[in-house]
Amino acid sequence: MLCQVCKKREVNVHFKEIIGGEVRELHLCDVCAKEKGLGESFFPSFSLPELMLGLTKLEIPPSLGKGPQCSGCGISYEEIIKKGKLGCSLCYQNFTEYLDPLLEKIHGKVYHSGKVPKKGKKEDRLDRKVYELRKKLEEAVRKEEYEKAAEFRDELRELEKGGRK
Amino acid sequence: MKFQAMANVTSRWLKGDGPEAGIVFSCRVRLARNLEGFPFPLWAEESKLKGVSEKIIDAIEKSKYLKNAHIIDVAELSSTERRFLLERHLISVEFTKGGRYRFLATEKEEMLSLMINEEDHLRLQTIFSGLQLMETWRLIDRVDDELEEMLDYAFLPRYGYLTACPTNTGTGMRASCMLHLPALVAVRKINDILKGISQLGLVARGLYGEGTEAQGEFFQVSNQLTLGLKEEEIIDHVEKVTHQVVEQEKRAREALLKRNVIEIKNEVGRAYGILTGAHLISSQEALDLLSKLRLGIGLELLPGFNIQILNELFFLITPAQLQIREGRELTPLSRDQLRAKLIREKLSKVR
Repeated sequence: MLCQVCKKREVNVHFKEIIGGEVRELHLCDVCAKEKGLGESFFPSFSLPELMLGLTKLEIPPSLGKGPQCSGCGISYEEIIKKGKLGCSLCYQNFTEYLDPLLEKIHGKVYHSGKVPKKGKKEDRLDRKVYELRKKLEEAVRKEEYEKAAEFRDELRELEKGGRK
Repeated sequence: MKFQAMANVTSRWLKGDGPEAGIVFSCRVRLARNLEGFPFPLWAEESKLKGVSEKIIDAIEKSKYLKNAHIIDVAELSSTERRFLLERHLISVEFTKGGRYRFLATEKEEMLSLMINEEDHLRLQTIFSGLQLMETWRLIDRVDDELEEMLDYAFLPRYGYLTACPTNTGTGMRASCMLHLPALVAVRKINDILKGISQLGLVARGLYGEGTEAQGEFFQVSNQLTLGLKEEEIIDHVEKVTHQVVEQEKRAREALLKRNVIEIKNEVGRAYGILTGAHLISSQEALDLLSKLRLGIGLELLPGFNIQILNELFFLITPAQLQIREGRELTPLSRDQLRAKLIREKLSKVR
């Protein structure tokens, strides 16, 4: 088996990470492992997403050339990959097809389930309501206020029904 | 030199009054946010950076939580002054490089602060003493809600908060705990623990975060995933893992005492002897000895001592803190002298 980074030398270091039942593996040769800070001692710092990002940098299909440019900031996908940093918020919309696999590699998932801003577009506001209700529901369950919790649950169901129309 | 007044006041989170403060130095939550319609700082022209900073400073001035914050232009600072802020965990390594239209805003007790135009337009952080991450999150959540009323955050329902680096996308949140683990180091279990931490989806780093090495047996544990999980889930996970590490450290401390009380007493006592007797001391030696003293307090070998004095000393003895206190640049020799004097004075007040 050849190293995932240099694709030249034999693999000698295996790294496995399990998050929520999902297994992610990394196989490197000694040289590349050392370069990535995976030497004999486990410290100093090491983080799989950063490593994954490092690997992805090497995986731009040659057919892509300089790649498309973002309509917001004018930065090409190639430049983004080189620096590992996006150009502006519109890059997220313009490069969705490339970003999805990248984000999946880093986070294992590509759908946000956390906080939603209070203001913003109409559909975002609905998400925020759902977010706040879910928070209230969890709080009520934690405090064992089940009557309140049932109310929040019904409200949440109503909202989610409305959102699907 | 700036910040002389600040150098004489201890950050609120150093008081050592939080839960498990003997082992958990502090806990911290930071949020990365960007403004809609502006390129991210790395790619932005100065006029755009200026525009971003004006909008955010305007919001800060109207904020209930931040209106009295001290706003500092990083470009105007010397490298020692930047180092000083880095050591107080107010700015990042990235920010010490400076640049125009880069600002730090911090409220008086340094529990709540934000960086403008770091890697993202806005990096908001809260730091509390001990292990109370959920409380730390609740405060930053409220401040974030308030700022969001005044600023247009870049957000997509699918990807969450949009950040310059894809490793922050989603919640944009990093939750971390700074741990003092001298016993796990002493019983040589620390590498297993760090490995375990990373297998649970968390990262272990040095004292000042990204790209730094562990110092004085201090380690920072934080989440690495930001997309696909709720903030509270991430906080809860980091908190639970930290609790487990704290338990392991406690067990290692008991084991140390059982194995050889005399040896431990000897090490702690010698550390105390050198610290109270030295007239020249390097920061590395001081850190190592203070770490032993801190362990001694945890093992109740040093009656009368409290964690706060030790926590403060850890931060006061670095080259940047010493120079800012003195108000001038110092040679390494005079720093070693001043450091030794400061430690003797602080420790003599205890007994």
